[in-house]
Amino acid sequence: MLSENKNIILNHKPGHVKHDGHNMTGFIIFLCSESIIFFAFFVGYGILKVTAPVWYPEGIEGVAIKEPLINTIILISSSFVIYFAEKALHKKNLWGFRSIWLLTMLMGSYFVYGQYVEWSELSFSLQSGVFGGMFYLLTGFHGLHVITGILLMGLMLYRSFLPNNYKGGEMGVESVSLFWHFVDVIWIILFGLIYLWQ
Amino acid sequence: MTTTNYDQRLVKTKNPYPRGPNDWKRFFSFNTDAKVIGIQYIVTSLFFLLFGGLLGMLVRGELITPPSDLFDPTVYNGLYTMHGTVMLFLFLFPMLSGLTNLLVPPMIGAPDMAFPKLNALAFWLVPVFSIILLLSFFVPGGPASSGWWSYPPISIQNPLGKLINGEMLWITAISLSGVSSIMGAVNFVTTIIRMRAPGMGFFKMPIFIWTVLAAQLLQLLGLPALTGGAIMLFFDLTFGTSFFRIEGGGDPVLFQHFFWFYSHPAVYVMVLPVFGIFSELFPVYSRKPLFGYKFVAVASFGITILSLVVWVHHMFYTGTPLWMRNLFMFTTMLIAVPTGVKVFAWIATLWGGNIRLSTPMLFCLGGLFNFIFGGITGVMLATVPVDIHVGNTYFVVAHFHYIIFNTIAFGIFAGIYHWFPKFTGRMFYEGLGKVHFALTFIGATLNWLPLHWAGLLGMPRRVASYDPEFAIWNVIASIGAFILGVASIPFILNMVSSWVRGKSAPPNPWKAIGLEWLLPSPPPHENFEEDIPTVLNEPYCYGLDKPFVQDEQFYIDKSYKRH
Amino acid sequence: MGYWSYSWLPTQASEAAHYVDNLFAFETSIGTFIFLGCTGTMAWILLFNRASKYDESNGQPIEGNVKLEVIWTILPLILVLAIATYATKVNYKLENLGSKIKYNFDQEVPFVEEKKVFDFGPIDVISRQWNWEFIYPNGIHSSELHLPINKRINFRLITEDVIHSFYVPAFRLKQDIIPGSVITYSLTPTKKGVFRLRDAMFSGAYFSQNQTNVIVESEEVFNKWINDTVKKELQNGLNPAGRLYDKRLKNGNRGWATVEPAPAPKVQDKGFEERPHDG
Repeated sequence: MLSENKNIILNHKPGHVKHDGHNMTGFIIFLCSESIIFFAFFVGYGILKVTAPVWYPEGIEGVAIKEPLINTIILISSSFVIYFAEKALHKKNLWGFRSIWLLTMLMGSYFVYGQYVEWSELSFSLQSGVFGGMFYLLTGFHGLHVITGILLMGLMLYRSFLPNNYKGGEMGVESVSLFWHFVDVIWIILFGLIYLWQ
Repeated sequence: MTTTNYDQRLVKTKNPYPRGPNDWKRFFSFNTDAKVIGIQYIVTSLFFLLFGGLLGMLVRGELITPPSDLFDPTVYNGLYTMHGTVMLFLFLFPMLSGLTNLLVPPMIGAPDMAFPKLNALAFWLVPVFSIILLLSFFVPGGPASSGWWSYPPISIQNPLGKLINGEMLWITAISLSGVSSIMGAVNFVTTIIRMRAPGMGFFKMPIFIWTVLAAQLLQLLGLPALTGGAIMLFFDLTFGTSFFRIEGGGDPVLFQHFFWFYSHPAVYVMVLPVFGIFSELFPVYSRKPLFGYKFVAVASFGITILSLVVWVHHMFYTGTPLWMRNLFMFTTMLIAVPTGVKVFAWIATLWGGNIRLSTPMLFCLGGLFNFIFGGITGVMLATVPVDIHVGNTYFVVAHFHYIIFNTIAFGIFAGIYHWFPKFTGRMFYEGLGKVHFALTFIGATLNWLPLHWAGLLGMPRRVASYDPEFAIWNVIASIGAFILGVASIPFILNMVSSWVRGKSAPPNPWKAIGLEWLLPSPPPHENFEEDIPTVLNEPYCYGLDKPFVQDEQFYIDKSYKRH
Repeated sequence: MGYWSYSWLPTQASEAAHYVDNLFAFETSIGTFIFLGCTGTMAWILLFNRASKYDESNGQPIEGNVKLEVIWTILPLILVLAIATYATKVNYKLENLGSKIKYNFDQEVPFVEEKKVFDFGPIDVISRQWNWEFIYPNGIHSSELHLPINKRINFRLITEDVIHSFYVPAFRLKQDIIPGSVITYSLTPTKKGVFRLRDAMFSGAYFSQNQTNVIVESEEVFNKWINDTVKKELQNGLNPAGRLYDKRLKNGNRGWATVEPAPAPKVQDKGFEERPHDG
């Protein structure tokens, strides 16, 4: 079992493996998982809408589309805006990046504010039957993700002020940007389900 | 019968931890080394195996007589619910996470997992949700008592009307368990995809890695559905929503869909790593290549994909339409095919081998034997007419315990014994191991084999009392359960005393092929560190002229160097 | 083994039972064959291929055999598809399941016109936590289910609280009863006797007590029962759960949380709790 001469190296070349760059893979995998929770909620929404004997709570015939539509346009536009912010970062235009990034955060915050206004004007609650429950669950969870996105963006903004953070920071910005697009896509599906399919 | 010849110079070494600090305290800290985290998971889960086993013995104590004479039925309901929950979420999943943590980095030649801090965080969630779950015994009204499925409306009845109740804590604990598992899954999948040794393409990976990858992908795809359902259940229970509450127009069967969409793949998450363990151990103890490596590897993914489309077979009689039952019967039957491929491959691996019946091999053989039986009863359950008769009876209980305990737990024991020398640096006591196997096999068979007949005759499951005609089966089963309880004694004795004062273990006591066997026992903090072997072939080439890695002798010699 | 498997099952008391038992016997035979084949091979190997004590040499270096692999993939595939097809045919023969209609909780249970022809029914099967009540078309309420032999009988399965299950092992039939829906179900009993009806879906504290009897009798005896019972007064029906709960309350309400049992149903035929059953 043991070789006779333990000092023979046999022209040995040590093998190496890269240990960086895993974060993006991990984050993408995580996002796929997150999307399945939403997917489960969407399926639940669809099934309940089609099979429940009574869908809308009493006195409600649907939900208004106008304000949510404005919110939607703002949110979708913010996805384009964040793309330009990323491009600015690539070009190493730090102040360009910071200002466009901040604009994205403001658009996201407007969306949250708009959601809050819509909630406060609705006449049904979480407990109002199946529709009430699903409406607040879906929009609430989505809103939670939007707020998380804004907080993460704030973190990235703060980090952009740290000296010499450029190399490490780019990965974080890419991830948060991806998260923002994810939040956007979820909203588009949600909007279709709740507001368009009535 | 099974001693191996190893280097006598190593037997007397006092300190088997030359690299890592020989400090027991590292197991109680936020340590990011996957090997430490693995052992943390494993030991924690073994405590819960004992606790879950105790609950199981209490259940069987009640069931040894037809009337409900040991506990109040509400207590019985809480006990069996917690038995199932503890066994699944506090023993099985953490145990498998632990074995995976321990084995994946060395087996693929990685220094650690892709996200070590996330790994440690995922582990430390386990004590958190375990405590939450155990606290539920002490809240007014007792713990969750609606079975581990927690179907509404029974699970959301909340008789005492309290905000903090057993069911609420149960849902919280299960959700946190899901979070921990998803963290683990992200980690494992990233590690396996990105951190393999040079030369280790997918078709040179050990089968254990294949099955872990398959299982963790299932976790990623399935767990969120359960989490979604659990959130909705929580809202119904705590905030009075009506997702599953008929008073508001909800649908109880919808919960069942959410629940089983995950929980069916969950059973494959549990069994796939154990299939991996069997695939690793049979070649070693028969000293033969694994038969049909490529087929076995691909079959793991066949099982994964199919397991996502069979969930309704848990709902054949719960209010699903006939077309759905027929469809899912067909998909369920299909899963038998890749599973059969694996079983036949193992038997073919044994054929013509040089069989060594050491403790790990005994557990593998016992597990395989039981699995063939359990798999056949599974195919019976897949056919709708039979399932309508025996569903929700003790036939199902017997079937799934045959898989969960008589196959999966056997495989886990086999794995623990097999890799014990590698990761603790000590040899275990073979004699005690064999006693453990004998008692476990006898106890497990006595416990669950008779219950098949109780179920066929119509004894429902989850009952605290039953008609007297079922008595004989239950008496035999309870005796088996108590034997199983006794069987844990040689196991605990073996583990503790071997780790503390067992013989020092050489790097490769079983003369097995694998990257982990090219490391010292126990491996240093970063496994191969900067010098990772280049893999040339898959690790099953016993007797073939196909070397495993380049410069194999160099690494073998290096593994003997202790400093 | 196939023949032996019939004896593992309760007595066959419905039209469906024969089909189910035949399928089960078929599966048992195939299963036994596979089990003995595999474990026999394993036993052979263990007897004749054991390594001697210090022998660490390798076994035969066989890596695989593609032809064999294909055979043992295709053959089981054909086998399972055959079993599934056979089972589908049995499914259609059973033909028990009617419609499942959801209704709003505060509405009356809807009446559904079923297209198939039934000999008798519909009998409303009301399941509660934890007793059964059967309401016959002419207004009889009963705690035990009396059925005429060899007639196709129609049921409406209704629950007032949580999910229960209508399970009669002797009939080989089970159907969960879902709150918020009424499920139409039908079957044909083919053997006279007393058979257990058990709730097979966990429904709470006294779930094990949620059992009653199905009494299958000849048409004459059945009609006589109908005529006699409709004249009787309403009284409290079978409710062992209630009795046990009262006992618990007397002992200081010790134990974990439970909802109160539903009160005993008001029935004309309160059944006989100690009635011996045939299966």
